[in-house]
Amino acid sequence: MTLADKIVVALALLLLPFLYIEFWGNSSQGEAVQIRSANSEDITLPLDQDKRLQIKGALGSSTIEIKNRQVRFIDSPCQGKQCITSGWLHKDGQLAACLPNGVTVQIIGRDQRFDAVNF
Amino acid sequence: MNIGNVGCTSRTAASSELMVRGAHPTQLLKSVGCALRTMMAGGKHIINGAQCVYARHLGAPYAVLCMILFLTGCEQRPQVYQQQVLALGTLVDISIYGVNEEKAAKAVTAVTNKMEAIHHDWHAWQPSKLTYINQQLAAGNSVSLNPKQQQLIQTGIELARQSDDLFNPAAGRLIALWGFHSDERPDAAPPANSKIQALVKADVRMSKLFLQDQQLSSPNPAVMIDVGGYAKGYAVDQAIDELRRLGINNAIINAGGDLRAIGDKGGLPWRIGIRHPRQTGVIASLETHGDESVFTSGDYERYFEFHGQRFHHIIDPRSGRPAQGTSSVTIIHRDASRADAAATAVFIAGTDLWRETARAMGIDEVMLIDTAGTIYMTEAMSRRVHIEIDNQINTIVVP
Repeated sequence: MTLADKIVVALALLLLPFLYIEFWGNSSQGEAVQIRSANSEDITLPLDQDKRLQIKGALGSSTIEIKNRQVRFIDSPCQGKQCITSGWLHKDGQLAACLPNGVTVQIIGRDQRFDAVNF
Repeated sequence: MNIGNVGCTSRTAASSELMVRGAHPTQLLKSVGCALRTMMAGGKHIINGAQCVYARHLGAPYAVLCMILFLTGCEQRPQVYQQQVLALGTLVDISIYGVNEEKAAKAVTAVTNKMEAIHHDWHAWQPSKLTYINQQLAAGNSVSLNPKQQQLIQTGIELARQSDDLFNPAAGRLIALWGFHSDERPDAAPPANSKIQALVKADVRMSKLFLQDQQLSSPNPAVMIDVGGYAKGYAVDQAIDELRRLGINNAIINAGGDLRAIGDKGGLPWRIGIRHPRQTGVIASLETHGDESVFTSGDYERYFEFHGQRFHHIIDPRSGRPAQGTSSVTIIHRDASRADAAATAVFIAGTDLWRETARAMGIDEVMLIDTAGTIYMTEAMSRRVHIEIDNQINTIVVP
């Protein structure tokens, strides 16, 4: 084995931890937020840019806040306000919905371990 | 979950929209195998559009590096069409594999319409065929049913009988008394004990309904049919039939967390996560084979709080109150209606009667999590699920 061979093998071994974490690691941190409304086009926004926005729904306007890589409903014209009390979402796949207003907010990312979640 | 549940909700669900799935570890292993095979052949190999050329004399180090650098695979990732729709009073995620986008989109529209029609026909509190049936039964009249309606009621009678009436669709008045016949149950006082006891004493049972020559009647005017305990499963079954009729054999219909999966993703099984009843995230996972429904009933789905106490929507017909001791029950069975009803019955049966109840309903794969966090499961279920959390969990497996 030449010196070049050894360097290549060393580089390959160095890459292994990175690849393990990248593909098998338990990273469930979301990367983007997808907002859907029956009244408008879907919106996808990066989770790392703080923002507050109004989404028009069937009953009125829902206010959604993205902050510190998290997202939440802060206002919605529904009765129960469960979408608001569900609080911050930050993990991939988490979803909050205001069904009366037809607005859903979901964290999306690269963690596609599951085709569906049962609950 | 009640079919008429329309409200704000917070849930964990698979992401939706047309998308290409990320590489799955199984795929990556396949890719490695593919690269190895190519290496052994000593030729060149095209991986993700990049040419990875090497000769046998360059030796193993280059081959290993090449393989690792282009680990992302030499086979195409499965293309899954996903769409989320509002139907059955909840969010329904439809995933379809193996057909073009146009065909998948048409199928989504067809199954959405089918599920919405069922929802409207069987809504428990908005004017529907079911509310009409209940009015007639309360007035002591008989009511005529078409074959499909008859089939749904007959299924309810059979499932109730097998569960020894723990699953009791005739007890709609109890559900209504607790305030769950509304889109959003306010955090107000639970019903008076006297009213609860009066309904328990009324002793309504599906087995006491008369269903003959497409005529349905009840000698007991206290009967109010509420198909919420199995209509979602019924709607999912009908939707899967519709997909098959349209030539789609690989799909998941996930109706607000309860699903039926058919086929696979080009040889890879569908992977399902089961939500943790007390934390965010997934407690366990499984892979579906062929045609299977996975249904969960949980005390976190619909509830209200009063003076710091939580009252959930799964009412035990024996006490007339929310069933105690269980957090969630997950059932795997081919038939979604049966899985749906069994999840409710086993939840109510609790840790004492869960196994007998499941057996009587023809269910082999059951997982029950009690309020202390202990997992009870059948041997058949233990062979299917993979626990996804690191914490030590007390697990009891029974034959």
